[in-house]
Amino acid sequence: MVRSLHVMIMYVLCHLGLIFFMFPADIIASTEQGHWFPILIGIIVHFVCLLTYMKGLSFFPKKDILSIFSKSKKRVTFLFFAPVLLYLIMAIIITVRAYAEIVTLVFLSHTPLWTIILLLLSVSAYISSKGIEAILRTAFLLFILFFPILLFVLIMSFQNVDWRYAIPFDTDLGFISKPAYFESYFAFAGGFLFLGFVQPFFSYERKYVILSAIFLIPFFLFSVYIPILTLGQATASKAFLPFVLIVDSINIDWLMFDRVTMFFLLSLIAFIILYLSLLMWKAIRIINYYIPKSRPSYLLFGLSVAIFFVCFWIPDWKDVENILFMNSFLRSYVIIVVPLSIYYIGRRLKRKDTNETI
Amino acid sequence: MKLSNKKVIYLICSLLTMVLILSGCWDIKDINHRLLPVSIGVKKVDDQYLVILNIPEPIDGSMETKIVSAKAETVSKAVDTISRNMESDVYLLHVKLIFIEKETAEDGINDIIAGFMRSRDVSPKALVAICDEDLQEFFNNIKINAEKKGLSTYNYFEKNAGWNPDIALTRVWEVFRGIHSYTHDVAIPLIRSGKDTTMDQIGSAILKRGKMVEQISSNETLLYNVFKGESGNGKMEVMEHATVMLLGSKTDNIGRLVNNDAHMESLIKVRVVILETKGEPSLNLIKEEINTLISERYNKLFTKLQENEADVFGMGQFFRNQIPRDELKNWRSDYFKNMKININVKIDIQNEGYLKTT
Repeated sequence: MVRSLHVMIMYVLCHLGLIFFMFPADIIASTEQGHWFPILIGIIVHFVCLLTYMKGLSFFPKKDILSIFSKSKKRVTFLFFAPVLLYLIMAIIITVRAYAEIVTLVFLSHTPLWTIILLLLSVSAYISSKGIEAILRTAFLLFILFFPILLFVLIMSFQNVDWRYAIPFDTDLGFISKPAYFESYFAFAGGFLFLGFVQPFFSYERKYVILSAIFLIPFFLFSVYIPILTLGQATASKAFLPFVLIVDSINIDWLMFDRVTMFFLLSLIAFIILYLSLLMWKAIRIINYYIPKSRPSYLLFGLSVAIFFVCFWIPDWKDVENILFMNSFLRSYVIIVVPLSIYYIGRRLKRKDTNETI
Repeated sequence: MKLSNKKVIYLICSLLTMVLILSGCWDIKDINHRLLPVSIGVKKVDDQYLVILNIPEPIDGSMETKIVSAKAETVSKAVDTISRNMESDVYLLHVKLIFIEKETAEDGINDIIAGFMRSRDVSPKALVAICDEDLQEFFNNIKINAEKKGLSTYNYFEKNAGWNPDIALTRVWEVFRGIHSYTHDVAIPLIRSGKDTTMDQIGSAILKRGKMVEQISSNETLLYNVFKGESGNGKMEVMEHATVMLLGSKTDNIGRLVNNDAHMESLIKVRVVILETKGEPSLNLIKEEINTLISERYNKLFTKLQENEADVFGMGQFFRNQIPRDELKNWRSDYFKNMKININVKIDIQNEGYLKTT
C-alpha cells in the first residue's frame, strides 16, 4: 500500500514537535553570532543521513530494517540493534520528562509532574498499541487540526522582529566543541529512523520524504532566528525556551484570545504525543523481534511502566540535560552507523545479485 | 462488529477513568475564588518591596476597585502575603500594567523585571509605566477615579482605545531586552494621577540598562514613537503660522563608520494636513516651519540622550554590520556618545482641507 502522504506528514509532525522547544536555546547557547552556520551544518548532516538511509533501504523493497538482517545470526544483529533500542528508550524518557517539565512550566504550574507524565505516556502507548496504521492516521488528523494554528502563530511571531539583529553573518567553528550543539541534534535525528520500520506495512516514494525534509528547513531556521531577531543574542541567551517567550509576547488586538501560547503549545504537545507513540512502536518492534513469543501489548505496557518510573526518578532539569548529552553518543551512532551500514549491506547484496545473474 | 461482554466492561471502565482525567482539574480554584489584578505597583522601601495590587471586583453588576498592599523582601513574597490575607487566591495572570515608583526606577529595576520574566504568571507583554508620585497615593486616586467617575486604567494604554502617539508603549519583554541588549534602551511612560482623568502623562522616562537616567517630554516621546515606526497619526503640531496634523511618518537611516566615529544620516519623511492657518502663509513657509520644529526637537533630544549614553532609538542596530560584536558591547559609551547625527526632514503636505493655501 502506498502511503507517501501519510509518511510525509508523520515526518513533518515529529520534527515540528521537537524543533520549537530545546532546539533554539541549544543553538543560541552554542554560538554568539552567525547562527545560520550551525543550523546549516545540522541540516546538511540531516540530509546526508536521510539520503544514505533511504538509498540503503531502497535495495530492500518491502523489507523493514529488522528483516534485512534476518539472514545473519540473531546474536550478531543484537549487537547492531541494542544501541538503537537503547537510543529509542532514552529518547522516550527524555522526551516525556522534558515535555512534562515544559507543560508544568508554561501552563499547569499546580499540577504534579507524575500526572502529566502519566498522561503523555498513556495516550501515546494507547496509540502505538494500535499499530503503525493508527499512528499514521492520527498524524493525518492532527495535521489537519493543528497545523493551521501553528502556522498562524508562527506568522504572528514575526510581529516584533528587527531584521538588523541578524547581522553580523560571519561565523566560526567554535560551536563544534559545545555540548549544547550536540544536544541540538535531538531535533535533527529524532524522526528519520521510522522510515526503515514502515516498509512491510506501507511503501512510500523517496522524493516525498525529501520534499518534507526540505519543507522543514524554514522551521529550523525561524525557530532560532525569530528569538534572535526579536530580542538579540545577548537577551535571547538568557531565556530557557526562547521561542515560547516570543510567542508569549505576541500582542494581537483583534484576536479575542489573550494568549496564543496555549494554542501553540497544545498543538505541539499533540505532535509530541504522536512522536512518542512512534518511538514506542519502534522500540516494541525491536524487542518483539528478539522475544518473539511475547505479546506486543504486554511488552508495551511493561515498557511504559518502566519508563514512567524512570521519568519519575529523574529529579530536576539538570539531570534531563545530562541524559540528553549522554544520549548524544547513541545519537551519533544512530545518525552515522545505522544509515551507513544499511547502505553498505544493500550495496553488497546488489553486487552479489548482479554477479549471480551474469 | 459485535463486542463481547468483557470488552464492553473494559470500555466502560476506561471511559469512566477518562472522565476523571479529562476535566484537567488539579488543585484548581474556581474563578469566583480567584482574584485577578489588572495592575500591580512596585516600590522599594529600604530593602523591601511594597507591592500594591489593583483588583477590579464585579459587585451587583457594577465594577468596584479594591486596592491591597503588602511589604516583603521580594515581589512574589509580597503577592503571596496578599494572597494569604485575602479570602481568595491572587493570580497575576491578567496583569496588564506594572507601575514602578520613580525613585525605585532610578535605583534600577533589573531584579523586578527579571522576576516578572522568570515567573510565567505575568505575561511578558504587560505594559510598564513609571509613577511620578507616591505609589500608595497614586493607587488611591485611581480607585477614587474609577469608582466616582467610572474611569478605567488599562484602556489608557490600549492601542484600540485611549492610546495616543505621544505615549511610549513599552512592554516587560522590551524592558528586559533593554537591560541586556548592547544597542537598545527603552523609554517608559511617566505618569501621575490626574484630577479629572485617571492618569496624566508627563512624558517618558529613559531607562538605560534598567536604570532611569533621564526624563523626556511628551513631544519628545512622539519623536521616539515616530522613529520606532509607530504611527504618529492624529497628532497636532502648532507653529507660528499654522496648525498641522500628522498623518504618517517614515524614517530612513544610514549609519557609517568614519575613522572609528559613528555618523548617522536620518531622513524623516512626514505627511501632514493643514488644519488652521494664521494670516496667509505660503506652503513653503509652513513646510519650513515644520522642518525647523522637528529637526530642532530631534537635535535637542539627541543631545540629551548622548549625555546619558542611552540609545533609546536603537541606533546601534544600524552599525551592526560595521562594528564587531566585541566592540558593540561598548556601543553606548564608545560610539553613541560621540555620534554625529545629521537629520533631514522631508515634509509632504497631503492636502489643505476645503480651503486653498496660496
